[in-house]
Amino acid sequence: MTSVSAKRISWVAAAGIPLLFAAIAMLQGRIDARIPTPAAGQENLILSSAALIKKFSLGYEPLLADIYWTRSVQYYGDRVGVRGSKFDSLWPLLDITTELDPKMIVAYRFGAIFLAEPGLGGADRPDLAIVLVKRGIAQNPDNWELNADLGFLYYWWMRDYPASSQAYLVGSRNPKAPPWLGMMAARIAQKGGSIQTSRMIWSQIYDTTRDPTVRKRALEMLKGLKAQQDEEQLNQLAETYRQRMGRNPASTEELRSAGLIGGTPVDPDGFPYVFNANGESKLNPKSTVSIPREPKTPPQPFK
Amino acid sequence: MSATTGPVAINTFREAVRDRVLYNLIFFALLMMGAAILVGEISIGIERLVIIDLGLTAISIFGLVMSVFLGVGLVSKEIEKRTLYTLLAKPIERWQFLLGKYAGLLITLAVNTAAMTLGLAAALFYVGRPFVRSDASILIAIYFILLEFALITALALFFSCFTSPMLSTLFTIGVFVAGVFAADIRNFGALAKNPALKGIATLVYYLVPNFQNFNAIAAAGHGDHIPASLVGQNTMYAVLYVAVLVLASSAIFSRRNLK
Repeated sequence: MTSVSAKRISWVAAAGIPLLFAAIAMLQGRIDARIPTPAAGQENLILSSAALIKKFSLGYEPLLADIYWTRSVQYYGDRVGVRGSKFDSLWPLLDITTELDPKMIVAYRFGAIFLAEPGLGGADRPDLAIVLVKRGIAQNPDNWELNADLGFLYYWWMRDYPASSQAYLVGSRNPKAPPWLGMMAARIAQKGGSIQTSRMIWSQIYDTTRDPTVRKRALEMLKGLKAQQDEEQLNQLAETYRQRMGRNPASTEELRSAGLIGGTPVDPDGFPYVFNANGESKLNPKSTVSIPREPKTPPQPFK
Repeated sequence: MSATTGPVAINTFREAVRDRVLYNLIFFALLMMGAAILVGEISIGIERLVIIDLGLTAISIFGLVMSVFLGVGLVSKEIEKRTLYTLLAKPIERWQFLLGKYAGLLITLAVNTAAMTLGLAAALFYVGRPFVRSDASILIAIYFILLEFALITALALFFSCFTSPMLSTLFTIGVFVAGVFAADIRNFGALAKNPALKGIATLVYYLVPNFQNFNAIAAAGHGDHIPASLVGQNTMYAVLYVAVLVLASSAIFSRRNLK
């Protein structure tokens, strides 16, 4: 081949290859348009057996675990806050991740949050979250944080205060555990279910977490619990007002006029509380604070 | 290294460099750079873990591919190009030639792995984490990967002494996969009720190289301590196994009719 024709073919290739690739991309787009895209939540895991995936990883299970964890995070991220979303594949993804890398603490800790959160926030499966965290504790007995997570799950989502206290107690025996774990165990054993105890737990989460999302969530919960505590106090004062005046208070101003409170109580967002027609104190409609939802019947443990 | 095997080893290394074998480092560098930049975007809480796992897996896979494909060509290429006849006309024994070729490929793999280790260190540095004492386990994991390469290269060399490059590749990969499943072979034997089957499974378990011994990627990722005794045992295991394979290769190659 002469140098002239070699140069010519090089120019043709330089111009032609991008054009051909553009044509391929356009064609693929047409082909894709003929095949309906699967709706969110319809996709399945091709392999759902963690043991099988581990076998076929040929010794490269740590990287596969990273990939599965990333998939779990993306799966959760795609669905969280989206109305009608289902989290059916979340547990298999977390199961595979932790089977492939039993020491990936982050998968147990965040996975438990993803699983336990109700409504639009997660899979509403605290039972599975407990299974996951217990597996983490079995694989990583030196990690006290997992015991604290287990205690929290039992406390907050299952309302199982003896189990919660026990989990904190076990964690407190770890030489690396901070002193508050033992204090928490005693507190829950003594006053499980009280707002003060709940605030104590969320305060510890707020103070100890390194993750900004968890920290933000803890702050929201602390605000909600503070508002819940305020509402309970205001309801007691409203009862006193009712006994004294023979009618429900219409506002906090009336409580103040009656000398029951010194100022205008405000929620953590700075909005004054209001009263409904039944004389029950409520959050101001403008407030972004949300009172934590309590499950009417605690979920049953996973078997 | 003796006066005869040394030059063969050095020439094998030079040949590999001339064949642009080390170009794989460019892919590795791109992979690590991409991972270091993207890792924070796609996952949470495991940036460092991903870099270590990805880096060590890439080092292992790149090296494995090189060990198999270069290993099977160590002898066959020399025969194909007829350079073997010129070489063997010189005062060099066939086993010395084999040993030199093997050592040359090991040097190539070691240099390649060292360069990739530097790439991994740079990526870890980029994700903003100072090196700590527990990072020594990463170096130990890389050392184990090198031991694995030594074994696979020896396997490839062994098969290439009596069969074609295509079959040598298949056999080497087959033994590697069997070696990864060594523990399952043992467990299968333990579950078998037939004593003969149990005996065969136990024999196969000890016969195939146990590549799970050298898997320390997870430990390195989590900064776990790897005991010195394990390092010693794995080194001994690899040395003994390589000695068996190189001896067997030498015996076969010495008797091979090269006409």
